[in-house]
Amino acid sequence: MSDFVEQCRREWKRLGVPDPLADEMSADLTADLEEAAADGVSTEELLGAAAFDPASFAASWAAERGIIPAEPSGRRARRRPFVLVAFTAVAALVLIVAAVALAAGKPEVSLVAVKKPHAFPTPAGIFVRPGSSRMIAHTNAAAAPFEWVLLVLAVVALGFAAWLWSSWSRSRPPSLPA
Amino acid sequence: MRRMAVAPQRRTELLRGVLDLCLLAVMAEGPAYGYEMTRRLRERGLGIVGEGSIYPLLGRLERDGLVETYRAASNGGPPRKYYRPSSTGRLALAVGVSEWRAARDAVDAVLAPVKVEVA
Repeated sequence: MSDFVEQCRREWKRLGVPDPLADEMSADLTADLEEAAADGVSTEELLGAAAFDPASFAASWAAERGIIPAEPSGRRARRRPFVLVAFTAVAALVLIVAAVALAAGKPEVSLVAVKKPHAFPTPAGIFVRPGSSRMIAHTNAAAAPFEWVLLVLAVVALGFAAWLWSSWSRSRPPSLPA
Repeated sequence: MRRMAVAPQRRTELLRGVLDLCLLAVMAEGPAYGYEMTRRLRERGLGIVGEGSIYPLLGRLERDGLVETYRAASNGGPPRKYYRPSSTGRLALAVGVSEWRAARDAVDAVLAPVKVEVA
């Protein structure tokens, strides 16, 4: 079963589509995708914009069959941008905070890996269990400044957000079955 | 660039209102499962590639009683769900084709004098 069909199944389960009907639609879709692949037709070519949004595709199919109530048009379209906007905003905020902290001077908080044979308070005041290895916040350490870690994470998150926005904008054109 | 983006959008809008008729028409030629219908449409030059999926539309036709379905083995493959027009579906196809031809002729009458020149 392809990843696309797996995602459809998850959405049908979430929506409460009875298993026999979900099995039927999954089997039909899987058989069609496999036959299309044998003809050299990709999932994107067969399903159009729906290939980029399996959850909406699955919901639309189930709703049109009358298995679930039709979702008010636009609700899903509005919900996704809200989540994307929030994710992008948080990533941008973290990026700004990390950049400001780095620009303000020498980083003072670092992450260091420690492994202690016995429990005792660390210089930073964080208690470490015997034998455990973990990352702790440590002041005035030279390795892996926390701000740099935040900066890299924020850049990666923003890149992911850009990809999500791109995917979302591609899936916006209305599919034929309105 | 803008013109290139508008063309597929217009095509999508044009197909939106008649794809159900096209599906009823190809399944009226003989019962077909989902992908087989897509293939028949493509053979006639109607690639719906990138413009939507037929599955929700087939679901709607089924819900509205315009098609009948049954399961049967395909050639060497797993059992497939075959669709064929019901009596109501055949009537809807006839009415829809009549409406389409009337609309097409009217639009043709308006657009016929236009001389197309592509720079």
